[in-house]
Amino acid sequence: MNAFTPPLALALVDIGRVISLVLIAGGLLWLLIRAIKLKEVERRVIFLFIFISVAAPILFPTVFKEKATPIVKAVFDKIESLPPGSKVLLSYDFDPAMAPEVQPMADAFSRHCLVKGHKIVYMCLFATGQGQFTRTMENVIRPEFPEKIDGVDYVNIGYKAGNEGVLNVIISDFKKMFPTDVNGVPYDSVEVFKGIRSCKDLDLIISIGGGRPGIKEWVLFVGDPGDVPIATGVAAVVAPQLYPYYPKQLLGLLGGIKGAAEYESELVIHYPRFKDSPTPALLMMGPQTLAHIVIMAFIIIGNVLFIQGRRKEGKQ
Amino acid sequence: MRYIFVIFSLVLLTFSAGLAQVDTLGVDSILLNIAPPSPISNLTVYDKANDHGHALILEWTPSPDDGAGMNTVMLYEIFRSESPDSPFVNVGSVPLGNSRYDNIGILEKESRDYIPDNTDLYYRVDAVTINPEVRASSEVFGPVRSYSNWFHRGRVPVLLAVLIFGGLMMYFVTVARKGAELYVRPLAGISAVDDAIGRATEMGRPILYIFGLGTADMISTIASFTILSRVAKQVAEYQTQLIVPCYDPIVMTVAQEVVKSSYLDAGHPDAYNDDMVFYITTNQFAYVAAVNGIMLRELPATNIYMGKFYAESLILAETGAVAGSIQIAGTDEVGQLPFFIIACDYTLIGEELYAASAYLGREPIMLGSLKAQDYAKAAVIILSILGIIAANFGLTAFTNIFKVLD
Amino acid sequence: MKRSTLILMGLVVIVFALSWIFKAISFHGVEEHYVLQGFLVTLAAFLTLSIMSFLYRDNPFYKFAEHLFVGISAAFWMSMGFWSTIVGNLIPRLSEGLSNFFKVHYIPGDYNIFFYIPVILGILLLMRLSRNYGWISRWSLAFIVGTTAGLNFIRYLRSDFINQVSATYVPLLVDWQGIGHFFSNLSLSASGQFIMMLANWVIFLGVMCGIIYFFFSKEHTGMFGRASRVGIWILMITFGASFGYTVMGRISLLVGRITFLFRDWMGLNI
Repeated sequence: MNAFTPPLALALVDIGRVISLVLIAGGLLWLLIRAIKLKEVERRVIFLFIFISVAAPILFPTVFKEKATPIVKAVFDKIESLPPGSKVLLSYDFDPAMAPEVQPMADAFSRHCLVKGHKIVYMCLFATGQGQFTRTMENVIRPEFPEKIDGVDYVNIGYKAGNEGVLNVIISDFKKMFPTDVNGVPYDSVEVFKGIRSCKDLDLIISIGGGRPGIKEWVLFVGDPGDVPIATGVAAVVAPQLYPYYPKQLLGLLGGIKGAAEYESELVIHYPRFKDSPTPALLMMGPQTLAHIVIMAFIIIGNVLFIQGRRKEGKQ
Repeated sequence: MRYIFVIFSLVLLTFSAGLAQVDTLGVDSILLNIAPPSPISNLTVYDKANDHGHALILEWTPSPDDGAGMNTVMLYEIFRSESPDSPFVNVGSVPLGNSRYDNIGILEKESRDYIPDNTDLYYRVDAVTINPEVRASSEVFGPVRSYSNWFHRGRVPVLLAVLIFGGLMMYFVTVARKGAELYVRPLAGISAVDDAIGRATEMGRPILYIFGLGTADMISTIASFTILSRVAKQVAEYQTQLIVPCYDPIVMTVAQEVVKSSYLDAGHPDAYNDDMVFYITTNQFAYVAAVNGIMLRELPATNIYMGKFYAESLILAETGAVAGSIQIAGTDEVGQLPFFIIACDYTLIGEELYAASAYLGREPIMLGSLKAQDYAKAAVIILSILGIIAANFGLTAFTNIFKVLD
Repeated sequence: MKRSTLILMGLVVIVFALSWIFKAISFHGVEEHYVLQGFLVTLAAFLTLSIMSFLYRDNPFYKFAEHLFVGISAAFWMSMGFWSTIVGNLIPRLSEGLSNFFKVHYIPGDYNIFFYIPVILGILLLMRLSRNYGWISRWSLAFIVGTTAGLNFIRYLRSDFINQVSATYVPLLVDWQGIGHFFSNLSLSASGQFIMMLANWVIFLGVMCGIIYFFFSKEHTGMFGRASRVGIWILMITFGASFGYTVMGRISLLVGRITFLFRDWMGLNI
């Protein structure tokens, strides 16, 4: 949907939104009545509700404005404040299962660092991370930054098996673990690595993921011992466990698709050139919001059912 | 018209070249006319403490022309040599305003950045202007040596914590080994395990025991081995079927040993079958898909989830609920506890899993370490109260004790 | 096999074939291997729907997708383990000949006889397959468990214990200049005195009561029991917040999958 979408299409989208909202509201009311009457609800009906609440905003796109919270803004401000030419490491520590949540973050970080002129080192602690980096290459780097040169503006050093063992080595010696990049170019010949002997020479490390190995290992093995600034973008399920690390051990955190949407929004505000770039996280917040409202309604209806049940037991 | 254009372009080109010439001449004359700045003073160089060697720290008082005076200093260049008479080599630089440089060498002997330990070295710092030729050198400082340290003073808090906690552990393990009765409060989930096994026996349905996604080195998996041992012993006594699908091959090998020993202890070694404990896959969701299939086909009466779980926890617990099983869970993965609490009948939260393994195993090492942990928690409470009092009254000396340096 | 099952399977095959044809046509001119791309997108959509069909009930399509996933993932991780660990990490440091054979970059000067130790330990671990010599694998296991414990001990103690304890040293009276000043500047602003003090008190009480809940050496009765009760309440509130976050994560994954079905498979312009 943009300024060139025909009015008829826009009208159809509005009608679609209204119909789906009426359908969902009516269904929830029906559920509430059943709960008051203590009638059981088939679990497949619940699944159908969730499907409609997610599918409808996808078919009839609904985008909400997002404002970056302080914990997300801290990451943005850090990248923004680094002088051009700073060395940033992006670690793709996720697999395709986590990709819908964290791939938008990875793309947004890449965009931000490249537009600021930072030198990016891409690596993975997950074997499947390489495939995810390829998506960033194809969707962000090649189309939006064709002037950036591999080896000069960014470098991909790929995946190394060893989990924490890898971090244990690169905290003191990068070259020992990654003697070449993925194309076989020797470490000393890569311009990005000039001045980088170990992780301690990096200006910022961002771990994107949520599994193991992940941000916790980065903090334990690199951030704390090496006193290197670390930020992260993680899947929502992991985010609450990382709040104790903020702000002393983690300078900022993007939690789930909400964090990604906030970052994308902040990026578009500061860099209008990205207005037409894909913003998958912002698009996903529409179905996310409606699904959350439906789930909150389920929780209320469930509690009504529970209270009614207790009352009936009390009477009996 | 064409000729006028050509003549005009030629005139424009000549004029621009002339301007550039004038401009260059102007800039060149400025560069040549810079006076040498004042050098830095009070240069000291010393070994970097708490490291493995090959590193020295330089400190100095900045040149008076740095941010003041003639204001011509742009950066400081650091030079090093192995003798005051041999050529000095540039090892680094810092911009104006700085008065410290950490000369940290790398371990490759062939590299220019290598700093040999226990070798006399000499340093000099040059205050450099915008014209690199115009500079002022400090006096040479030396000889100075770098050396590695056996003891890292910044990690004393960690050493104290290790000594205190280790000491408590050794004391309580010794006490437990001597037969002392160490009290562990009852946990609801533990007594439910016995009832659940009995239920499975009555119904003639199997018991499904799941380690989760942990590897054999994880504490939660190790605790789970102890619980499996207890479960397997009872299962052997009641002659119930036990199914243990594994995510990790090493966990599978250990689990097979544990179950085999339990059957032996129960007096039914012949009832043990290697196929009870089997490997599925080391892919998270493929493992979950397979276990879900087992739940719906075998219809176990009891599901026991003990170990490390991630995103698959709710999928497993929900499917178990659909299959009508009694579910007892225990994990230290905080993010998954909400799902187990909702979907399971009993949940051991975090450390309760370790306590359960100590309670069931009654091994002196486990009981002793549990007691030591409790005393450590008491110490944390006391230290936290003292720390908060210190923070409120600005007593930084106390709060600084807990700073671990690197 | 029931007639309805046969009809359903036939319908699925027809839909699969039609989808493949239409997707291949849509990729024609855009992708080089348009037939393959059409097949892959159709297969991905088929497997997605097969797994989702489990929500209705267990069925042969789910079983097929499940077994396919288990088999492929086992093979993938086995080959990944070989190529990334043995070929990626070990061979480049041990042998130039083998490095050339496997077409990996040989690292000269990194040879160390100690690298043979993990090779030996790995072989010992495989002894588990032998009935008579399986006990030898315990040495490798002991090494794995012991090394990991030692490696992590100091780091966890520093990052997850000492640093966390010192992070609870928060002032309970923030910017205190007397009761009058406190009430006159009362506001609900996030950086205001009231909210910051409230946050610090919640941290203090939450940490204390949470630790008390996990105290196993004493029965939870009396004041101790009440503090433990507060602790479990704090824990449950935390779990609720964590649950909410996780629900967001799961819905995101569902959105991702449905977007794939609508946009990449059905070709809807969204």
